[in-house]
Amino acid sequence: MAKSLVGRRAENELAADNYQPAPYGGPGTREPDLYPDDVMGARKEDDHQPQQRTAKSRVDEWMEVDFKFGGSRIKRKAVALVLLGAPALAPLFLMLPALLTLNSNTFAVSVDDTLGTGAEICLFLCLLVTPVATLTRQHWFIPLRRWYGIMMACCAIGDATAAGITDDFAGGVFGRLAGHVFELMGFIMVMLVIPLLITSNPWAQRKLGRYWKRLQRLTYAIWALLAAHLILLEGFGFQSGANGSGFAGDGDPIFHQRLYQYSACSLFLLTLRLPPVKRWIVARQKEGRGWLVYMTVVPLFALFLLGFAFIVNEEIFKGIGSFTEHPSAE
Amino acid sequence: MSEAHAGGGQEPTTAGRVILTASCSLAALLLIAGLIYAMGIGGRHQAALAAAGCEPNLSPSGRQCTTAQMLASHYMAIMTPARQQLNADEAAYTANERGNLVAAQAALTAEVTAEQAFGRSLAGITFPPAVAPTAKALAQANRARAKLTAEQAGSASLAHLRSFNHRVRVAGAAVQTEMKLIRKALDSPSPAA
Repeated sequence: MAKSLVGRRAENELAADNYQPAPYGGPGTREPDLYPDDVMGARKEDDHQPQQRTAKSRVDEWMEVDFKFGGSRIKRKAVALVLLGAPALAPLFLMLPALLTLNSNTFAVSVDDTLGTGAEICLFLCLLVTPVATLTRQHWFIPLRRWYGIMMACCAIGDATAAGITDDFAGGVFGRLAGHVFELMGFIMVMLVIPLLITSNPWAQRKLGRYWKRLQRLTYAIWALLAAHLILLEGFGFQSGANGSGFAGDGDPIFHQRLYQYSACSLFLLTLRLPPVKRWIVARQKEGRGWLVYMTVVPLFALFLLGFAFIVNEEIFKGIGSFTEHPSAE
Repeated sequence: MSEAHAGGGQEPTTAGRVILTASCSLAALLLIAGLIYAMGIGGRHQAALAAAGCEPNLSPSGRQCTTAQMLASHYMAIMTPARQQLNADEAAYTANERGNLVAAQAALTAEVTAEQAFGRSLAGITFPPAVAPTAKALAQANRARAKLTAEQAGSASLAHLRSFNHRVRVAGAAVQTEMKLIRKALDSPSPAA
């Protein structure tokens, strides 16, 4: 009985968890996001105060202001979103020369690093939006979640397609896509990302109704499968070779271990999604002690940045190799 | 009874505080460990390079220097797929050289593309002085073979096409010889293909 009450309450909370600030189209409109803004049925920070749902932070208001550019007026938010969203195109852009010249060598050697790492970056950026919104109480950047999700899907599908064509594993296309267990994990991730991509539009959101959000929670399955993919790919160690990050000529193999990078990023992203933690943060913010929240999460965020910086480093290093069609096999 | 109910509506934040404290402590410990580890990067870098046989002043990847292992790995990464592609194209040519002019020409054209792509990739590697002459000879042999294969692909008849076979085989053997020399110089294993 108690369980059913809890379940009903969770459902109610889920139903109420459709906050979209007015700036994105006014009351009654909903900005479709590819990924859910919450996990495990957590309450939004303002569940107890519905009147605050349309409240905007000062930054949100500032972002709504137009400025004149050429002959038209543009919102500051639009410019900021474009600037923040543009880097997500980088992985696909870096593979463009190899695609245009049909350079199978570059695809065979570095597409998994360039597009695979790119997909990981986009996934983390997508998952970063909600914790940052929780911490800052700003919502102007929420549309980025959808954008990063779409780019993550494009990179993942591109990676799988190229791997299916150019990898040299035995067993035909299926062998190249799922011939090893780590590949199978990647293949399942790509299969899961396809329905997310297809339903990342307002029409699908309307049609699916309450099931849409549940469907979008597949993102968390992808997040977990990525861990399995990396464990199977690199193991838990950091030695050169099969159980680690390979030869790290710069002397810091630990920082280049992808599983460690993933863990460093995920600790922040997961912790700030946990309902009790969100409640604590909201409570401190209501008390006017936002500074305490920031001070508390500094180590978590610093660890996230450390892991993320090395993922980006990997993307730049491998991506430039792909772009110049001199791929690195490291 | 939960804290929320016991507190009569008070925010149930204890669990959140505990989780956050534990996570942040873990993160802080990892950061400190990372900082300590990072302080030794310079020494480990030098040791790793010395152990792997650093080739000074070679920096195709923007690094301080390139090790023989990195160089061999880079070379194998371009050579192996190129060789696989060429084997496939050669097999397609052999299958069609006596009966299908168009298919044989297509196979040869694909061969030329693969040879040229290999040449471009090879030019992107900076070899150490000891290996550079061999690499240059390989590039020249590869160019010569690509030129000959292109001429062969332009043949108007199957008989004319086959008349190139011997010369192409000789040119291919020259490429193979240079490849073996480079592999030996880089001390990389021979590919199974």
